[in-house]
Amino acid sequence: MSRDPLILGHVVGDVLDPFARSVSLGVTYKNRLVINGSEFKPSAVVDKPLVQVGGDDLRIFYTLVMVDPDAPNPSDPTLREYLHWLVTDIPATTNASFGREIVCYECPRPASGIHRVVLVLLRQIGRETVFTPEMRHNFSTRRFAMEHYLVPVAATYYNCQREAGTGGRRFIRDDRC
Amino acid sequence: MWSLEQPDNGHKNKSGTNRNSNSGNNRVLSSSSSSRSSPSSNTSILIPQTPRRRTMEEVWKDITLSTFHQERPITPLDHHIYHHHHHANSSPSFKGMILQDFLTGPLNRPLPVSQTVVEQLPLPPHPSPALPETALSLNSGLEFQYLGPDATNSHSNSSSSGHNASFISSAFSSVAVGPPSPTGLFSLCSKKRLQENPAIGVDRHHKRMIKNRESAARSRARKQAYTNELELEISNLKEENAKLKKQYEELRLAIGNSLPKRNPLRRSTTAPF
Repeated sequence: MSRDPLILGHVVGDVLDPFARSVSLGVTYKNRLVINGSEFKPSAVVDKPLVQVGGDDLRIFYTLVMVDPDAPNPSDPTLREYLHWLVTDIPATTNASFGREIVCYECPRPASGIHRVVLVLLRQIGRETVFTPEMRHNFSTRRFAMEHYLVPVAATYYNCQREAGTGGRRFIRDDRC
Repeated sequence: MWSLEQPDNGHKNKSGTNRNSNSGNNRVLSSSSSSRSSPSSNTSILIPQTPRRRTMEEVWKDITLSTFHQERPITPLDHHIYHHHHHANSSPSFKGMILQDFLTGPLNRPLPVSQTVVEQLPLPPHPSPALPETALSLNSGLEFQYLGPDATNSHSNSSSSGHNASFISSAFSSVAVGPPSPTGLFSLCSKKRLQENPAIGVDRHHKRMIKNRESAARSRARKQAYTNELELEISNLKEENAKLKKQYEELRLAIGNSLPKRNPLRRSTTAPF
């Protein structure tokens, strides 16, 4: 339905293809749950969040991907997507600390514009089937999922802008963070 | 008089866009020029001149320029006409004019001589729908800058005024801006802009307008997505709440029913042995 926030926020489209939500995903930064489209300051997302994964079978493993599709600037996303975090082999019903962090958490620090930060949960076909990507920038969740036979089962996103930002585009050339 | 208008109208309609606003402009302008009685210099514009082939753009431009004599024309065309008028002319007649005079309206402007209008051949072809919007943004950008010193961060479009102002200031950063008075800044801006290549100016504004639109669309999408998410959350929570209340009631009733009666075999006293 077009009222789905993931579609309205163009997460489905820019990052993912339409998929069916089948597993619950709860992302919590410092006791604040991520709601689609809510705003987080860089100071609030400095440390990695608690990511609670749903499902019911401990033998099924999930991969968590955290990307910024609006890098470096939403009106000029040449580095789409920027990979901030990649955790694999997370058993169902547990959280991300039970998985293997193959790309360590890098806190989002947008220089300009309001960036979406998307967290995607993908189901693996087996264990240790996911390999580390080479670079963080110009990552493609779609391509990554295809290469590793991953299926998206849940996604959420929040907005993040500079600490002192007032939103929107600026034509100031320097990048003060 | 109407018979003279016919070929021009036909030219304009063929030129081509499907925009109603553009055809609206055509109609307004043709009516204004038709209201004119024909002074000799002006009829020379309307009657096609045989020694030289006149393109549609020239006819269009001539008619719009001639309307400056009569009534207040549509504002978007002002900048376009002045840009192209200057572009062809090495020494435009209004170079000494400051922007404030320009903005006070067409009737106060130094009127360009009609003969020079006929002779020149400027108009680089570009899609006419671009004209009203880019020129309009140019106008509004300058107005925002005028308001800048007085109204910073006080209203929602401060971001647009901010970037308009900084765009203009970055474009003219080489020009030494002495006193921070609006008047001084305006005269410098107008002089610099008139010397700039008008095609680039229009393109830059066009691009920025497109970017601004995309940014606005993203902003709307963001807001809509968040609102929808909250509404979904609300309905989920309401559902959960209703379910939990029902469960509670059922449990209460169940416990109430199965509450055991006081055990009739309970001892009241203990025997000493």
